[in-house]
Amino acid sequence: MISMPTVARRGLLPILLLSAFMPLAILMLVSVGRDWFFPALLPGTIDLTGWRTVLGSGARLRPALIASGVLAVATGVAAMVFGAFAGSAIASARGWRRVVGAGAAFLPVAAPPVAVATGLHATLLGAGLGSSIVGVFIAHLVPACGYTTLYFLGVFTVREGGFEDAARTLGAGVLDVIRRVTIPMMRRELLEAVLLGAIVSWGQVALTLVAGGGRVRTLPLEVMDYLMAGQDQLAATGSLLLAIPPLIAFGVLRLALRNVEMVLP
Amino acid sequence: MTRRWSGLAAFLVAAPVLVGVAYSLFASVGLRGGSGGFSAEPWTAAFADHRLVIGLAWSLWVAAIATAIASLAAILVATLFRSGTRSSGVARFLAVVPLPLPHVAAGVLGVLVLGQSGLLARGAFLAGWIDQPAAMPALIYDRWGIGLILVLAWKEFPFIALIAFSLLAGRGKSLEEAARTLGAHRWAIFRTVTWPVLWRGLAPAVVAVFAFVTGTYEATVLLAPSDPLALPLMTIERYTDIGVASRAEAHVLVLMGLLAGLGAVVLHEAVRAWDRPSA
Repeated sequence: MISMPTVARRGLLPILLLSAFMPLAILMLVSVGRDWFFPALLPGTIDLTGWRTVLGSGARLRPALIASGVLAVATGVAAMVFGAFAGSAIASARGWRRVVGAGAAFLPVAAPPVAVATGLHATLLGAGLGSSIVGVFIAHLVPACGYTTLYFLGVFTVREGGFEDAARTLGAGVLDVIRRVTIPMMRRELLEAVLLGAIVSWGQVALTLVAGGGRVRTLPLEVMDYLMAGQDQLAATGSLLLAIPPLIAFGVLRLALRNVEMVLP
Repeated sequence: MTRRWSGLAAFLVAAPVLVGVAYSLFASVGLRGGSGGFSAEPWTAAFADHRLVIGLAWSLWVAAIATAIASLAAILVATLFRSGTRSSGVARFLAVVPLPLPHVAAGVLGVLVLGQSGLLARGAFLAGWIDQPAAMPALIYDRWGIGLILVLAWKEFPFIALIAFSLLAGRGKSLEEAARTLGAHRWAIFRTVTWPVLWRGLAPAVVAVFAFVTGTYEATVLLAPSDPLALPLMTIERYTDIGVASRAEAHVLVLMGLLAGLGAVVLHEAVRAWDRPSA
């Protein structure tokens, strides 16, 4: 006789399989499907018109894709640098200082983007940076720095600083220690932090919408516009472009498993 | 970087949010944002508008149900697929695959699958359950937010599951082995060891998901109805309005969204404090 848990496991496995791969398969199919009218389960024609429209020369999505890419890379790098310093500083603190530091790093992660965006936008307007790509970059940095600070807080909490101590004992200055010891030893962690910050920026909508004042167009905003205009094929193509980079980052560097360490302390 | 910089680091990372909240606080009483001076009018106007109260309640409803479904599914999957067998490992991997998918892409999928002429409706037609798209029950832009709840539950499930896997693989495993050695049955182990480890460990993540879902914009704008209007949509709508009074009300809504998240944190702490003596 088969036990209840075994039956449940056999029933759940196909559901998990569908949950994992069906979404990408659907987006892929819609992105290449044409003449797909109700009630057909499959498109009448398969072609690459959607992809050409979205990525071809003079395509509307191209500047948005470039803007998203530039914002993601710049946010990732800046958030990595900030997070490394802030995370190491908070990790070195003890007692209530550490609790306050960790709580402060949680704040930009936990606060709803709409809430952060509205107050921040007014401040950016006052600084003459409202509705500009620099303003959007600063807005994206807020949650990204929260994530990378928490990430490095976890990393530096478990990391032994023996090599840095040895270098200092041998007479190395602060910059020498960072350049010759810390950076070479933490190359993987630094790269993962860049990716983490970049992913946070890559999917942002509310912050971009408010801080950019509708003038800064990024990939998620264009995807939403396509969908609202009923252009499902283009929306699916854009969604795939949105989904693929974070999925690759997840697969290659197993970012998600490290996020647990980052979120839990 | 030494520990003397920790205060500065904490300040720098939190400052933009604190500045934003402070701005919203001042703007909500007319002290910022082009209003004439101190006034409680934005607060009284916001609460006099029944759409705001309904919108807030609707957002809390969607967040509560979506978080509950995601949490229960995560606990079920983590409990059933915890062994070191190959199939359990595959199941755990499959469960977390949707984690990095952006919420906008999830919203697009929601429309393509759950829409009136979406894939689900096409399947229902082929099964002979409906004869036209209009006969399909509304699953998106619907008053109960069913489509939005399903999409958000699916999107948040991997995050909670990932933490549940980690909890059971760590502390839970050793405690369960100890209980088994002492002669406890499977159900007794689940009730006295697995469940307490899971719920105490998952509570912070569940609270975070609830707070996030309450204020999430991307999937909401694509799947939620215009009546009742969800809190994040109402906030953006009033904030982008050209009227100064509407903007002040938007800041009231921002503060209410933050209070909803804060309320969840306070509730979490209260439950933990209540649970501590018996722990």
